[in-house]
Amino acid sequence: MATTTLTPQAESYRRSWVLDWLTTVDHKKIGILYIVNSFLFFFAAGILALVIRTELMVPGLQFLDEPTYNQAFTMHGTIMIFLFVVPILSGFANYIVPLMLGAPDMAFPRINALSFWMLPLGGGLIFSGYLFGGAAAEGWTGYAPLTSDAERFSASVGTDLWILGLVFVGTSSILGSVNFITTIFKMRAPGMTLFRMPIFVWTVLVTAVLILLATPVLTAGLIALFIDRNYGGSFFDPAAGGNPILWQHIFWFFGHPEVYIVILPAMGVVSEILPVFSRKPLFGYRAFVYATVGIGLLSFSVWAHHMFTTGKVFLPFFAFMTTLIGIPTGVKMFNWMATMWRGSISFTTPMLFAIGFITMFLIGGISGVMLASPAIDFHMQDTYFVVAHLHYVFFGGSVFGIFAASYFWFPKMFGRRLNERLGKIHFWIHFIGFNLAFFPMHSLGILGMPRRVADYSPDAGWTIYNLVSTVGAFMIAVSIIPFLINVVATLINGERVGDDPWEANTLEWATTSPPPPYNFDTLPPIRSERPVFDLRHKHDAEHLAADASIVEAPGSHA
Amino acid sequence: MRGQVAATRRRTAIRGGLLLALAVVLGGCMLPPEPATTQADATYGLYIFVFALAVLVFVGVEGFILYSVIRYRRRDDRLPDQLHGNNTVEIIWTAIPTVIVFVIFFFSIGTLGVVEARSDDPAVVVEVDGFQWQWTFRYTDDDSDPNNDYTVTGSAAQPPVMVLPVGEPVVVRLRSADVIHSFFVPNFLIKRDLIPLPEGQQLNELEFTIDRVGIYAGQCAEFCGNQHAAMTFTIDAREPADYATWIEAARSGAPPPPPSAAPGGTVIELTADQLAFDTDQIEVPAGEPFVIRLVNNDTVPHDVGIYAGADELFNGEDIPAGGSIDYQVSALEAGEYDFLCTIHPNMNGTLVAQ
Repeated sequence: MATTTLTPQAESYRRSWVLDWLTTVDHKKIGILYIVNSFLFFFAAGILALVIRTELMVPGLQFLDEPTYNQAFTMHGTIMIFLFVVPILSGFANYIVPLMLGAPDMAFPRINALSFWMLPLGGGLIFSGYLFGGAAAEGWTGYAPLTSDAERFSASVGTDLWILGLVFVGTSSILGSVNFITTIFKMRAPGMTLFRMPIFVWTVLVTAVLILLATPVLTAGLIALFIDRNYGGSFFDPAAGGNPILWQHIFWFFGHPEVYIVILPAMGVVSEILPVFSRKPLFGYRAFVYATVGIGLLSFSVWAHHMFTTGKVFLPFFAFMTTLIGIPTGVKMFNWMATMWRGSISFTTPMLFAIGFITMFLIGGISGVMLASPAIDFHMQDTYFVVAHLHYVFFGGSVFGIFAASYFWFPKMFGRRLNERLGKIHFWIHFIGFNLAFFPMHSLGILGMPRRVADYSPDAGWTIYNLVSTVGAFMIAVSIIPFLINVVATLINGERVGDDPWEANTLEWATTSPPPPYNFDTLPPIRSERPVFDLRHKHDAEHLAADASIVEAPGSHA
Repeated sequence: MRGQVAATRRRTAIRGGLLLALAVVLGGCMLPPEPATTQADATYGLYIFVFALAVLVFVGVEGFILYSVIRYRRRDDRLPDQLHGNNTVEIIWTAIPTVIVFVIFFFSIGTLGVVEARSDDPAVVVEVDGFQWQWTFRYTDDDSDPNNDYTVTGSAAQPPVMVLPVGEPVVVRLRSADVIHSFFVPNFLIKRDLIPLPEGQQLNELEFTIDRVGIYAGQCAEFCGNQHAAMTFTIDAREPADYATWIEAARSGAPPPPPSAAPGGTVIELTADQLAFDTDQIEVPAGEPFVIRLVNNDTVPHDVGIYAGADELFNGEDIPAGGSIDYQVSALEAGEYDFLCTIHPNMNGTLVAQ
């Protein structure tokens, strides 16, 4: 390690650690707050998932009535997406991006703290519906007129709280993305050119741009919805000349970029982990960057593929744009495959989750291309096939990426490595449970089981698939137990592993683990997208030469 | 040595066979319900094509990943070649998904044309009203008098049945006065939303030509509030002549109670004419309820009863000349039974449950 640890001692000035965490503006502590907060919401929404799966295990209404069931799936979807997957990836980005760039902090540390603290506030508002006669129950997509006409269809104040909570959560993301964009453009260390930034930073950058363009649209729509519900507005009221389809356009204009907001940083995580444990650079770095930007651009021209069955959108255009997304996604897939090809692959837990990501995300990608065909979508839309597809993307993709990131960066955050044996147990139960839970949903959808039904006919032939799916859901829940034990045991008494336990590539490993408050004492020279690799192999002329070539001729790969 | 090679080959073959078997089982779980309209046939064909491509891509990519992680697992500390990229292969693998998605898009648009095609003169037009949480089906006709339109409204206890002819184009007009619903018949491989629209906007329509007699389950597919799951209906597709008889009776003001059969269940057609049934042998699945559809083309009333020896298991109501009915018969254990017209016991035959 080239860096020396030089920790300036604070004066005898002492604060309670609670106050310290509540008022911190350090990006690393805020990052950890994001991650812990998101995991808490993950467990809450996970319990809701178990409630849903238990009800659907066999036909008949066993222990929920319809309103409770509808609240459960609405809260599950809303919390998982808005308060788990998006913010936890922001949390990792918060912790890691400034380190990867060689920056001392985010550009706006106080705004950073503000964006975090809006999350528990917004999440609390959304959940508080349960205290006031029932949470929102219209699905995470909140279609009008079900949501917009409170008097006739959704009198519960839970829906109003849901809207308010989402406005806070959205504002949090918008502030956060301004912060990321500024940090990435203005805070890079000398030598860290754009095309030497780690892929994770690129994906965070594109994600932040997507958030900045898409989320305000949702926020505006939510406010219109709130006016319709409470102040006699008629944006979405057909009787007064409004149009409920307008809500779908607004929601999905945000909602489809949202899908990429959720998946791109996870792709970034995987693109950091695969090279480290294959001991090769990412194959086709530039192509990967262009593919990421391409996905970001395309994501604004495909929203109406969620609306094929409304009969109100121009099908060929949206079908065409949607299938186009298969191309940059395919390129990324090939890049990951080629990165492992002829590598020297070690199967650490983060690597297992990263490989899990690419194998499972592939299935979600394939089913996505199938759904892009309007005639096929006419059959599949609003069935469990879509539920299967979105879980292969969000869970098989993003959540696998999140666990990969958790195992990978845990030693950076705490100086201790999570136990590998428990990690592998976690992975395998998780992986098998995931497939048991979600693969049968493809069949259910193809057979015609609509989503969001509390009950189904025993004659429909759906029982066996539902049963298997429920078993899988409980397996996923079980797999979380070794993970939690692992985290607690490691924090108390884990193996101390030094600053760079994985022999990694990027700048965050050039400082101590955990890093000092100001991040770096000294920075290594940044001559490629793998400064720490270069440092480790600086006497290895051959590999330096290989790396130097991309520095000298940025246009070529050779 | 040779034995070892053979054993390896055998193992490979067994493994390959197991994988293939698994693929077939999984593939079998990925087939849509048997299509029942000409439009659905087109969609089914497209689905099979796209699914085959999907399997190809899946097997190729997962195979490559699996091979890589096994073949290139870390064996020593040597640093592998630091390969940063290769323009040629990257261009090739940009081209591969491009070709695939363009092919899929091309065929998709072709199928879309078939599914969305409209005929000038549909044989039957049914106006479908979705509401929280049931359906109303209204059969319109050429005249403007709504009194002789036949209308059926479902209830939670008895969801409505839409009787339709096979072989003729049918149009359903989809309307909602409250929230968004979606008209979905899995066997037709299609759904379309019922949207409460501001005045003057075009209603959604769906056109299909059913090509098989049968009972098809339908259901609301767009979440529409508390009882969303209870918004079911049934489509009862009949021969055009049977449909004509039914709609005439329905329009004349004293409609026969709409038959309601279990979706996907067995329907046995039985015709009575000149004091005889058209068959003396009926086969039904054992352990499942089924429907006997009696069409009385005779000049006298008939009915159907089912007996095991002297025990009466079923005795349906009498149907006047020219009428028809769907008898709901509860599940029978496997075995042979007698069926007969209780008015004319000479009209009889054997019913086999198996």
